[in-house]
Amino acid sequence: MSFLKLLTLWERCPTTKIGYPTRSLYLSSKLQLKQIEEVITDNTVTISAKILPSEREPHLLKNANPVVCPVCASGLDIKHTDVLILSQFVRSDGCMLPRRITGLCRKQQKRMSALVTMAHKAGLMPNLNPPNSNKDPKKRHHWKKFNKYFDESTIKT
Amino acid sequence: MSALKRVQQWATFARIWHVYDAAWQNPFHSAKLLKKYLMGLHKPIYHPLNDCGDHVIVINTGDIALPEDEWKKRAYFHHTGYPGGASWTVAWELHDKDPTMILKKAVYSSMDGNLQRRYTMERLHLFPDGKVPADLMKNVSNQIQQIRPVPKRLDHYSEQERKEFPKLIDYPKDYILR
Repeated sequence: MSFLKLLTLWERCPTTKIGYPTRSLYLSSKLQLKQIEEVITDNTVTISAKILPSEREPHLLKNANPVVCPVCASGLDIKHTDVLILSQFVRSDGCMLPRRITGLCRKQQKRMSALVTMAHKAGLMPNLNPPNSNKDPKKRHHWKKFNKYFDESTIKT
Repeated sequence: MSALKRVQQWATFARIWHVYDAAWQNPFHSAKLLKKYLMGLHKPIYHPLNDCGDHVIVINTGDIALPEDEWKKRAYFHHTGYPGGASWTVAWELHDKDPTMILKKAVYSSMDGNLQRRYTMERLHLFPDGKVPADLMKNVSNQIQQIRPVPKRLDHYSEQERKEFPKLIDYPKDYILR
């Protein structure tokens, strides 16, 4: 078991958590959303977290009708080949974000996750995969290495 | 005969060479399209007894695309003629063995079985990748348009393009980015 995994297990255990820094402080530094500053003046270490503006903010589409979800409001017919849109709804390991984070309606969340699966299977988002996975879709096994496409009308919503 | 009419005469009866890029194309939909050019069905002078078909060079047949799980569902039957000589090869296995065979069989079976079919197939030149002999490529004067748009992979977009593409959602303030 790796050291990181041990750390997370340690964190989960409620009895050992006292006096341990919170999880958000740990992970956010890498992502630059919340920057952690460590200032060492003689005998005192001051750790402070500062929220940075999101990289997406300047390019964010304005939701014309805030009653409905962003995808419904955009009125786009999103295909599984629109990887620049679909990659907004996934983590860096290609995993679909939950609905409380994407803020989509039930129908669109289900549709988007189906489209993300299709894009992954077609090998269109090879850089959004778990770090230990084989990134090149041409090196997959058997039938998986060949090009395939999907019909979006098969998605049941 | 005027010069214009003479050139028109040559252009009508000359065999034209077309090139078709099969990357990310369905071989069975492509076969219906290619068959028209091979048989000369697109010409006003077409007649079954009129040998007016064109040549078609198909490149990147190794990169054809099949819908969903058809790679493991579609089977190709062969019988040696001996008892127990039947064999079924799945599409991905056939494509592993010969990357041009699926398209070749698709074009062949899209045409009616008559005496002309073998000669029409002679005018189809299949290449698994983009490497075409120069003496064939120099004849080409037309490109056949692809049926399906070729999708672009996310890692083939530049970092700039990915960053500046309009975003539909933003993360919540307390989201831990992963």
